[in-house]
Amino acid sequence: MKKNVVKKLLAGALASAMILGSLAGCGGGTGDNAGGQQTQEEGNAPSEENGGAAGDEQQAPEEGNTDAQAPAGEGGTIMWLSNLQSGPQYEDYVALGNMACEKLGYKFEVVYGDMMNDPAGNLSAVKNAMTDDVKALIVSQDGGIADIMAEYPELYVCGFATDLGSVYSPNPYADNSAVLESDKFLGCICDGFVHGEDTGKAYFDIVVEKGYKKVAQITFPDYAYPQLKVACDTFVSLVEEYNQTAADADKIEIVGETKVLEFAPLDASWFMEEGNSDLDCIVGVCAGQMFIYPAMKQAMGDGTCRQDTKLITSGFEKDDAMIADFGNDGTIQSLTFSPCENMIFPLVLIDNALTGNQYADLDTAIIDSAKYVIDSAEDMNNVLTKSFNGTADTSLMQISWEEVEQLLTRNNPDATYADLVAKLHSEQILVDALAE
Amino acid sequence: MSGISKSGEKSLWLKGHLKDFAAYGGLILCIIIFSVVPPFFGQNIWSAAKLSTLMSDVIVTALMSVGAVFVYALGNMDISIGGQVGVYATLMVLLGNNTGSLAAGIVLSLVITVMIGIINGVAGEKLNIHPIVPSLVFMMILNGIRSIVYNKMGTRNMSLVSVDYSLFKQSWFMLLVLVLEVLVVGFLFNFTRFGKNAKAIGANKTVAEQCGINVVKYKVICYVITGICVVLAALFQMGYTGSASDSTGTGFEMNVMVALILGGMRLSGGMGAKVSCAVVGAFTYSLLDVGLPLIGVPNNMTFLIKAIIFIAVVLITCRQKKAVLPR
Repeated sequence: MKKNVVKKLLAGALASAMILGSLAGCGGGTGDNAGGQQTQEEGNAPSEENGGAAGDEQQAPEEGNTDAQAPAGEGGTIMWLSNLQSGPQYEDYVALGNMACEKLGYKFEVVYGDMMNDPAGNLSAVKNAMTDDVKALIVSQDGGIADIMAEYPELYVCGFATDLGSVYSPNPYADNSAVLESDKFLGCICDGFVHGEDTGKAYFDIVVEKGYKKVAQITFPDYAYPQLKVACDTFVSLVEEYNQTAADADKIEIVGETKVLEFAPLDASWFMEEGNSDLDCIVGVCAGQMFIYPAMKQAMGDGTCRQDTKLITSGFEKDDAMIADFGNDGTIQSLTFSPCENMIFPLVLIDNALTGNQYADLDTAIIDSAKYVIDSAEDMNNVLTKSFNGTADTSLMQISWEEVEQLLTRNNPDATYADLVAKLHSEQILVDALAE
Repeated sequence: MSGISKSGEKSLWLKGHLKDFAAYGGLILCIIIFSVVPPFFGQNIWSAAKLSTLMSDVIVTALMSVGAVFVYALGNMDISIGGQVGVYATLMVLLGNNTGSLAAGIVLSLVITVMIGIINGVAGEKLNIHPIVPSLVFMMILNGIRSIVYNKMGTRNMSLVSVDYSLFKQSWFMLLVLVLEVLVVGFLFNFTRFGKNAKAIGANKTVAEQCGINVVKYKVICYVITGICVVLAALFQMGYTGSASDSTGTGFEMNVMVALILGGMRLSGGMGAKVSCAVVGAFTYSLLDVGLPLIGVPNNMTFLIKAIIFIAVVLITCRQKKAVLPR
């Protein structure tokens, strides 16, 4: 009997030691970032280890104002309500957030939004993570945004990598458009194009350019992503229009209805449906690398999908097998995503707001992202070796930190919102620029 | 008694209350850590804002967990709780917007929960299947209904626009409702036949039957009481942001289980079941949610810390054979 009690007490003591050890280990850092030690190191590494741009970065504070030399966190915390928890883009965003905030004298925190964008879940996530020094919030989810701003009316809020659908195009059931009335709301940069018509047109152009004749579309539900349905409808309209003037041999056939994925990967049995085993191309108007590609490979292995069926889609996963299967004769022919340099948009607007020097021409309307299109093996190689998006190396950002500094009104009082937008839409941020 | 020495009595008493110490000790340890450490980081968990955050974080889990004590005392579990919260919150928003009052949504939710309670309570006994099976079926049905509703409406979430729900965001009101629920459920559980028979069934169903306890009847009553508490929780979940979504309630059944285990509840049910387990567990869990960021723990580490603490409590409280899992 006594032995059991002693065992239990020992187990309790051991567990307590584990807990205290974990707490001490996690809480003992300087709190410079919320992305964990690994991401903090990644964020710091470029400026410490690299010459060139990294060396310039270190000199920048001396050339600029003294604010830029402020210790990290002195200016408060910028919190990012993330829609991601892992992956190359998440790592890029954290690296950029850490680097920029360190240089500007802020602390960068990440809080994970509700996986399903539930308003109550997002509000809870923000409230639980809230500390007294949080000055601004970057939101990548729109669920509960009005409640968050009502709860923390002093916070500056800027959207990033989201279309903030309930803010900019509300429906009768979900309407957060009231946040547009707040002078704390700073605008938003979309993940991709704001309007689905542009997305549909982009996919249509790729299909025509590559010469695919039998295609099928796969997307996410329109109740979650209304603009994806617009994109799919636009694609169909453009194909119909194209077929009216095209020679018979050039006509494009869209096989079956658009397949809607309920946030679960495509099942390989889809390829057994009529016509789906004999496609030239699948247009994945969704994160096709994760949601379509695995089923395609399984079906190819099972013999239910043609070996030369191609995939054009959006998103970017750095899986070795997928990268090896990209371009030339590979399965994946085109990946479209938003460059991670987009995070400059909220960081610049928030810094301007916190330093009290906001752009005179600030417009809170949502803006498009530049489209980062990888459509050849050479492009992929360039992205993986020369770009911030493929390496999380901030010294490889296609908009350098020196250029970012010139967009900050604390350094350049003449900087304008138009300059910021123009920079983010410039050709220097496209994949093709890496070839130069 | 004369054969047991004083030190032996102490040892028995210590053994009998070890779980209480572990559960209460976990909460007390959290309170001490989060009172002492955050000031070093320039934070304070006892600020009005953080206490309000704590209350809004704990209220839904606590309301559900307190009610669920009845079902867990039986040695059963109800995994349709999350689906129920989602559907009830959706009904309250939909009917609230159509009628200008929450009454219709609440009444309809109560009717549904009573029906689910009856089926959950009866099916396991009459069909001679594991009691978790009917609740699993309801979980799937409710999630399916919710998915269809939001798909048809073309949105992922919907907001209450015709009813003032600000009362449900007030910390004092949350605390008041929680205290009232604890008092009522505590009374029913400890001082009426409902609770005593539930514990007796959980301890040994065969003996309970032979003692004349109508097992089916009391199982139904337990499920219905739990269901009523779930409706109350759904009301506060909906009232938090005045909205419901296609993911409202997802995983809540797991939150209830975690809270009860953290509170020292034996999932096999029986005489050791206590309402205090639910309250202590829910507050411990929420204190970790709110407190860890205040001591500089990155948000992506909080899951790991909570898991370690969970393991620690399980090690201490649930080491008896046949005592961990529900029957």
